[in-house]
Amino acid sequence: MIFSSSKKCLSTFCILFAIFITIPSAWCDEVKARQVLVELVQTDDRSTHQASLDKLSKLGEPIIQEIVAAWRVGNISRSASTQIVYWKVADNTYQNLATGELAIPADDHKKSRASRKLRKQLSKIVDFLDLRSPDMSTRAEAARKLGATQKLEHLEILRNLSQEQTSHEVKLAFEEAIALCLIAHGSEDEKVTAIKLLGDRHVLAANGFIEKARKIAVGADATNIISAADIAMRQIKEHQQFIDVIGTIVRGLSTGSVLLLVSYGLAITFGQMGVINMAHGEFIAIGGYSVYLVQNFIITTYGESSAMYDWYFIIAIPIAFLISAIAGAILEKGLIQFLYSRPLESLLATWAVSMVMQQAFRLYFGAANVSVSSPDWLSGSANFGGVLISFNRLSLIIFAIFVVVVTKLLLSKTNWGLHVRATMQNRQMASSLGVPSSRVNMLTFAFGSGLAGLAGAFISQIGNVGPSMGQTYIVDSFMVVVVGGVGNLLGAAISSLGIGMIDQGLQPILGPVMGKITVLFMIIAFLQFKPGGIFPARSRSLDD
Amino acid sequence: MNKLSYFDSGAEKTLFAILACFVAIFPVMNMIFPEGSLLHVSSFQLNVWGKYLCYAILAVSLNFLWGYTGLLCLGQCLFFALGGYAFGMYLMLMIGELGAYKSVLPDFMVFLGYNELPTHWKPFYSPTFAIFAAMWVPGLVAFLFGLLAFRSRIKGVYFSILTQALTYAAALLFFRNDFTFGGNNGFTDFKFILGTNINDPAAARGLFWASGAFLIGVYLLIAWLLKSKFGLVQRAIRDSENRVRFSGYSTTHYKVFIFVLSAMIAGLAGALYVPQAGIINPSEMWPTKGLDIVVWVAVGGRGSKFGPIIGAVLINLLKSFTTRAYPESWLIILGFVFLFVVLFMPNGVMGLWEQIKAYLAKKKSKQVTASA
Repeated sequence: MIFSSSKKCLSTFCILFAIFITIPSAWCDEVKARQVLVELVQTDDRSTHQASLDKLSKLGEPIIQEIVAAWRVGNISRSASTQIVYWKVADNTYQNLATGELAIPADDHKKSRASRKLRKQLSKIVDFLDLRSPDMSTRAEAARKLGATQKLEHLEILRNLSQEQTSHEVKLAFEEAIALCLIAHGSEDEKVTAIKLLGDRHVLAANGFIEKARKIAVGADATNIISAADIAMRQIKEHQQFIDVIGTIVRGLSTGSVLLLVSYGLAITFGQMGVINMAHGEFIAIGGYSVYLVQNFIITTYGESSAMYDWYFIIAIPIAFLISAIAGAILEKGLIQFLYSRPLESLLATWAVSMVMQQAFRLYFGAANVSVSSPDWLSGSANFGGVLISFNRLSLIIFAIFVVVVTKLLLSKTNWGLHVRATMQNRQMASSLGVPSSRVNMLTFAFGSGLAGLAGAFISQIGNVGPSMGQTYIVDSFMVVVVGGVGNLLGAAISSLGIGMIDQGLQPILGPVMGKITVLFMIIAFLQFKPGGIFPARSRSLDD
Repeated sequence: MNKLSYFDSGAEKTLFAILACFVAIFPVMNMIFPEGSLLHVSSFQLNVWGKYLCYAILAVSLNFLWGYTGLLCLGQCLFFALGGYAFGMYLMLMIGELGAYKSVLPDFMVFLGYNELPTHWKPFYSPTFAIFAAMWVPGLVAFLFGLLAFRSRIKGVYFSILTQALTYAAALLFFRNDFTFGGNNGFTDFKFILGTNINDPAAARGLFWASGAFLIGVYLLIAWLLKSKFGLVQRAIRDSENRVRFSGYSTTHYKVFIFVLSAMIAGLAGALYVPQAGIINPSEMWPTKGLDIVVWVAVGGRGSKFGPIIGAVLINLLKSFTTRAYPESWLIILGFVFLFVVLFMPNGVMGLWEQIKAYLAKKKSKQVTASA
């Protein structure tokens, strides 16, 4: 007990300590930069400039760039009487440069101009500012950029700064940049080691530079360089192919996840219940519009910069599910329950419903697509060894897995799931054994529609939300269910991933539209050989 | 068996007579009454009704497949559009050098930078070949698809969904510019048909007559087929395919034949439709169009010979009325009409009379039992 509380104390202390350490130091750097610049503006004595410039060059604050730029266009002024330097931030708005507070300038403030020499020195500092940026990724990015220019004068500063780097990532970036410079300007041995380094690290951007160096080496007959370049280029090419393959797989997974989400609801309503729901796409649209409405509600009540707005999507997901599930329940009670014995007529009736719903969306929300924004935490992308995947897509993949698992558990572990399976196998037998089949039907249909709504919610993050968004997915969804084997949820999952993979695999070769057409024809051909899909429903009945 | 036994009932005979009279007289009213007269039919009206007749043929072809064989094809619009494209190619070539670019090539080809006519376009200078192609291209597609599908015993809903996917794939293909069929915009701005200016009232009359005559011809052909042993097997397949197969009939052959015949009829309907509509583009084969046709047949009454004709005309009249009167909500109105028909009129408009009769009989028997 005592131990745990003391541990708590310790951790709290650590956190507080960390806050004290980090915040002031970040804050200090900016203040320091401001002070040095104030010194520079105020002293006319050129001999002290160098000392100030040296201090400035140690700091990587982005504010330096802004202030130097302001100085250049004449937005920095100083007052001789108060010894205060002002920064004109906007028309009639001045800042005390030293403190950053807004200030009303003294009457005798005059525009300050830097000397030519000073301007030149300052611009040099600004050019390399990002190399000292407190943000590590900016720093690495800046180093790579400088390396790609292959200028001799950059080599020195890169080398100097490289030794100071503590972060591993940034150090690697500096080494690569130095190597890139050396390819152009180094001695033969230096060139060879540089090429080897770039090859070993699979630096994709270096390929063109190595090729250029190889051409020069062919002219100079430097066999060492040629062989090193050949090896490095092969390494880079192999890595590129590897990345392409991984990229295709990831994109395939993500396309497959979209297909899975949009078709899983259908796999339940069509596959399990035998209802051909042509309005399935409109339930997807309901999901999309629910997200839109929640977003608007949160913006109007809490404002766009509130913390609530960051989490609106999380709130919208269950709401999208609920709204489309309720709509599904209404449709089942009002229409579909009369058509269980006539599947083809359920197709016609739901087609009519789909028309009505689409027009209703158009009347209420307008014919144009509505804009749904991604929250900040979903709009970035993750880098997996050179393959960029947006968080949207990633969350889609994770969510698809979640949906599959939850549906599986619901159907196989709960009482309701048992009733569903019994009713779907034999409606009359189940109800004569006491299963409340009409309620089970309603709930199952509502669940399937709710899944469509969920799909719509996620599609709102990667695609358009509009009155006819459902139509885009309806043919695909039916294909997925038929290929998977009607009545088999696992089949639907496998077929959607498979179709997604094939689609993304073909797209780089054939282009998006031809890829899709080829996939459709492949599906048609596949069903000629396996008419029951991947997992055909087994039955002893002849007419099933 | 005399000729009149093609008709199941007196009512059908009357309807057929009305149709025949309408087809014969309507263009005459365009010809003999002067403009401004109450009885005058404008060329525009003639074209509109000619289009409806084409839709009716299309609906009849689907009914032959769905109503009598139980194969619900959601891709009938594909065959219609293929036929339309085939004849549209002829019409495009007949524009000659009157296009916007003053070139022998169709405008979109000039626009896309073609220097000469692609080989598969060349035979379409001949109208006979174009009509032939409007029949056989859809027929061939139906033959290949049907043979594969029926051999592997794809039926019911699966068949419907596959035909929908086929249509979808084809539409995507036709939307492409490099498919040499005009891409997104398709074919339009036709000038001449069989040497006549396409805007001439004579052309409108001729097309109307051709459409009407073809509709009547198809009607009689199907009536004859249904009366024959072939028709009996066909309906037996609809009602219990396995029994038919176990009786020694190759249901696959029957189904392929029916599918091809219906596709060819739809193709010719498309060929007649395009000069009257003045445009053909890939949206004609978009999957929703296929569902529209199914709705016509369902509303008119599937499995009855006249139902699809009535359904196609009725729905299109309703559509043209509601799009003008209620441009905002016409889809909602149409949707509710379909819903009503599906729920309360399972045999469509053609079954309405029987439905009322049955209802009255039921009421009467109730009254009788109540009074007794």
